[in-house]
Amino acid sequence: MQAAALINSGQVFVLSNYILKYARDERVKYISHLDFIRTFHRTVRRAGLEMSFSQGYNPHPIMTVAMPLSVGVTSGCEYMKIGFEGDYDDKEIKDRLNGALPEGFSILEVCKTEGKQHDFARLDRAVYLVEMEGNCDRFDENVFLANFELKIMKKSKSGEKESDIRPYIYDFSVLKRSPEKMLLKMCIAAGNSYNLKVESVKDAMEKYSDGFKSDFFCVHREKILAGNDELL
Amino acid sequence: MSYTDRDKILIKVQKPTRYTGGELNSVVKDPKTVDCRFGFCFPDTYEIAMSNLGLKILYHDLNERADTYCERVFAPWVDMEEEMRKNGIRLFALETGDEVTNFDILGFTLPYELAYSNVVNMLDLAGVPVFAADRTEKDPIVCGGGLCAYNAEPIADIFDFFMLGEGEESINLVTDEYIRWKKSGKKCKKDYLKAIAKLDGIYVPSFYDVEYNEDNTIKSIIPNEPEAKSVIRKTIMKDFDKAYAPETIIVPFGEVVHDRVMLELFRGCIRGCRFCEAGYAYRPTRERSAETLTELADKLLGCSGYDEISLSSLSTSDYTQLKQLTDNLLEFTEKKKIGLSLPSLRIDNFSMELMKKVQKVRKSGITFAPEAGTQRLRDVINKNISEENVLTSAKMLFEGGWTNVKLYFMIGLPTETDEDILGIADLSQKVLEEYFSIPKEERAKNINITTSTSSFIPKPFTAFQWAKQDSREDIIKKQDMLKAAITSRKIKYNWHDNRVSYLEGVFARGDRRLCKAVIAAVKNGCKFDSWDEQFRFGTWLETFKECGIDPNWYLRERSYDEVLPWDHISIGVSKEFFIRENEKAKCGETTPNCRQKCAGCGANQFGAGVCFE
Repeated sequence: MQAAALINSGQVFVLSNYILKYARDERVKYISHLDFIRTFHRTVRRAGLEMSFSQGYNPHPIMTVAMPLSVGVTSGCEYMKIGFEGDYDDKEIKDRLNGALPEGFSILEVCKTEGKQHDFARLDRAVYLVEMEGNCDRFDENVFLANFELKIMKKSKSGEKESDIRPYIYDFSVLKRSPEKMLLKMCIAAGNSYNLKVESVKDAMEKYSDGFKSDFFCVHREKILAGNDELL
Repeated sequence: MSYTDRDKILIKVQKPTRYTGGELNSVVKDPKTVDCRFGFCFPDTYEIAMSNLGLKILYHDLNERADTYCERVFAPWVDMEEEMRKNGIRLFALETGDEVTNFDILGFTLPYELAYSNVVNMLDLAGVPVFAADRTEKDPIVCGGGLCAYNAEPIADIFDFFMLGEGEESINLVTDEYIRWKKSGKKCKKDYLKAIAKLDGIYVPSFYDVEYNEDNTIKSIIPNEPEAKSVIRKTIMKDFDKAYAPETIIVPFGEVVHDRVMLELFRGCIRGCRFCEAGYAYRPTRERSAETLTELADKLLGCSGYDEISLSSLSTSDYTQLKQLTDNLLEFTEKKKIGLSLPSLRIDNFSMELMKKVQKVRKSGITFAPEAGTQRLRDVINKNISEENVLTSAKMLFEGGWTNVKLYFMIGLPTETDEDILGIADLSQKVLEEYFSIPKEERAKNINITTSTSSFIPKPFTAFQWAKQDSREDIIKKQDMLKAAITSRKIKYNWHDNRVSYLEGVFARGDRRLCKAVIAAVKNGCKFDSWDEQFRFGTWLETFKECGIDPNWYLRERSYDEVLPWDHISIGVSKEFFIRENEKAKCGETTPNCRQKCAGCGANQFGAGVCFE
């Protein structure tokens, strides 16, 4: 996406691209990715901002979300890029969008961006907080992490296949635990080159611990990172 | 980070945002600060409920009151219901997530007969006794409104009262009375019902005794309380331009059926189609001014961020200020890239121009509703549309580049013959020929005609309320005849499920004796009857048998002197007028529309609208 100026019947439209960092809490965690996109388009209209549209037969607003969030997951760090017609101050965009968003969403930061300055392709991992219910006394993280490989069946577009996920778990710890509940923090691969879901980690925890079974787990995405760095 | 037991269920069901509330512009209040917690119940899924105009109006109307919190309560889809029952979760309201078991009032909108089973199921899921007589002062008051409330006798035993007609004022009056009664200690439920029975348009079914003749017809419907009126007349908003219209609209997260701003141009219809309950029930026709509507449109679009707006009425072309309104709207819809949709428009030069303006890119499908296949039968039903109208309009559309045309008809209409059925195939074919009459280079490719037939169901408060409804066998025979007569592969024929029409027909003109069958059918597993995959026709038939009810009896022809189950209700249109219309129908004589000449239907008694233009 490039910042550009279009000359149209005498008027000059300035197209500017921005990167937005935002959070989604419990109140909006069941909104699917597509519904979120529609919700956001309406928010922009209400905020009185003008989105830039793609050219072509069926014009659609220019907007990209990095790593769409799964249904049921909350997040403290989401990114999107969006193009506006006009040149706005970063803070003005943030305030206007926060004033127009439904409760549960909040824009944390806004920054004008160009080209590969904030490249979503660099994002390769995410940090999750996971609250897990089950017979947690049967799970030992040291035993789990000592495994040389963690092979589980992983769903992909081409069907299920076996994959060793151990190299993609960068960090894993139990922050709190009781016999029936524990709070985990994990940093695992995410993004285009290798995407690891929390559910797959859970599958591995069950497979590689004797008798451990999780009945329910609830996920919060704390960060999306490029190596050890945040984009914004 | 936190979660509740409900989260454990929501993650398992389809479309969880149906159950979570929190949408933009939904109303947030502290329930502790109000006197009345009102559950606005819609007996179908979220997507259908959120498209309902009545709900949009009354929800915000009630929430304007500081003493009342109106929340939405919808039928959970079967997957959610299963999880709720398994986990002991009762029916809850969307705004607070609180169970509705101890709400003050549960108000059901009754949009179609096939939703009756869902009403019963929702009460059961709420843990509220289904029969009004079993509910005490501790239970919520259960009331109903909407088009089906005019003859809701088949579910009368379930309801404490019905609101007949337009509810903007009534719903406030019954809430006022409720709060008064609650503050006085809620001693006896009957005291409350007596107080509201005096109000216009309030029908308390338990205040009427129905007696029957030996031949099963009704002998009499007599009030058993001094407060109960002998005839209950519907209420209307006399000055519709000034009537309450919300300036805000809830924006759902998921896609709903009508996912756009709806502008209600006018209530009522001047046309007088003899089969149409809505056309008669909303009389007299009353308009909102183009100025008021433009202002509303601006506010609703602004607060919602919607990029589409639709004009809503029974017949858009009959709106007298259509040109001014569309000029106003186009001024800002074009600038803001907002789509304007114009349903139920008659095709003429003006509307063609208009459609070209609003549909620059996409050419959506156009629908015609000739309703009957021959001119004779169209005269019988007073559908003022000629073959020539349809063909000229179709030609205009094809020349304008449209290729997707839908034709709507009814089968089973009074006086119908084979010729009328074949006329449907014939007219469809002629529309197709209009397309081929245009030179190849001047018409768009891929013509697509869809001919659909629904089955005629005689409805109360229409000129055909006495008519016989076709048996299922007759309907199937007619559908088969039509299937054979439509030969072109360019014409697709769709027809309605005869079993659905049958059940709808039984309830449309049903009486109180059906109530036990509705409740028993729900016990036997019936719900979501308007959903193909949920419809359990066999169970319904078995349930009728089990209850000793012959459903066929409700489809029979009635005589003018028979007491009808809805004779104590008045929509303001007289029975004499319906008799006159029915007799004229038999001779194929048409009646001019309200603007051409007053037909003396009686709706002028309201002192408003088209009757005094």
